[in-house]
Amino acid sequence: MAARSQQRSSVVIAPGSIICDECELVGEITIGTRTVIHPKATIIAEAGPIIIGENNIIEELTIIENRYPEGTENTGSQAVMIIGNNNVFEVGAHIEALKIGDNNVVEAKAEVGRHVELTSGCIIGAQCVVNSDEFLPENTVIYGSGCARRVQRERPPPQNLQIDFLSKILPNYHYLKKPTKQ
Amino acid sequence: MELQDIFYNNSQYIETASGNKVSRQSVLCGSQNIVINGKTVIMTDCVIRGDLANVRIGRHCVISRNAVIRPPFKKFSRGVAFFPLHIGDHVFVDENSIVNAAQVGSYVHIGKNCVIGRRCILKDCCAIADNTVLPPEAVVPPFTLFSGSPGKITAELPECTQDLMIDVTTNYYQHFRPIGKGKER
Repeated sequence: MAARSQQRSSVVIAPGSIICDECELVGEITIGTRTVIHPKATIIAEAGPIIIGENNIIEELTIIENRYPEGTENTGSQAVMIIGNNNVFEVGAHIEALKIGDNNVVEAKAEVGRHVELTSGCIIGAQCVVNSDEFLPENTVIYGSGCARRVQRERPPPQNLQIDFLSKILPNYHYLKKPTKQ
Repeated sequence: MELQDIFYNNSQYIETASGNKVSRQSVLCGSQNIVINGKTVIMTDCVIRGDLANVRIGRHCVISRNAVIRPPFKKFSRGVAFFPLHIGDHVFVDENSIVNAAQVGSYVHIGKNCVIGRRCILKDCCAIADNTVLPPEAVVPPFTLFSGSPGKITAELPECTQDLMIDVTTNYYQHFRPIGKGKER
């Protein structure tokens, strides 16, 4: 626990990002510019740092965590969790994947396990759970109650308009975490 | 069947003049945009996003633990707009559900762990079973039960649904009682 509170100060926030103060950031986290994090999101970097790219949206109750796989406690080896650009994590999503590319959408209440590698343009549908040890090819869509899969021909459009709107609106209602000075 | 009393710690809840019981642990963002009409229970860890757009909740509603009420957005050629979210009277939202609807009518029951997609319209007197996922822009007609992922009609509801929902929600409100110190009424 002591180590955890020591790590707390090592959050690097790029200017231009909107990080609500009510979200929980623990550990070594780097957040890129124009990323929006809603209140009540949780990001826990326990087993190694988390690097989040640009233009991501992380909605409320989302949990992004880099933690030790079950059974293995602190082994000393660190795994870095890297999240690319233009991703959307909707309400209540649970992310543990170490590698996430660009333009992915993880819908509400979906779960992505630690050994999954999301490439680009993937959509994980609402309430779908992916926790096998695999590599999802580009533009994979996982949907429905049976977690059916298919590959779509185009990637989901980036949510720049939504980010513009949120970065105008959220500062009116929430305290924001200040960007760290370089 | 009489409902059992459900007790809450008086110091954890705020009771307003119109009879709303709102947990102190709930997250009401942009509270100036949230209208709750009275006798509504909002439980611990709920999130209501009034900062995105106006949210209006009718009378005698129950919003259970961990539910998220979130106005939906729509993309236009120039920018994004969030739409106001109206919830009618006697609506029961069970635990861990996410409501992204544009409109929820009156006498509606939403089960546990549901995801109501963006801009869905739930008409009066309908029900959503537990663990249902409604795709965006779905319309749920009156007197139907939706379940599954993606949600489909699986049953019809009886004509007395309105009375049943009034019973359930008013009973729930009456049996949602404080314990511990607080002002007596």
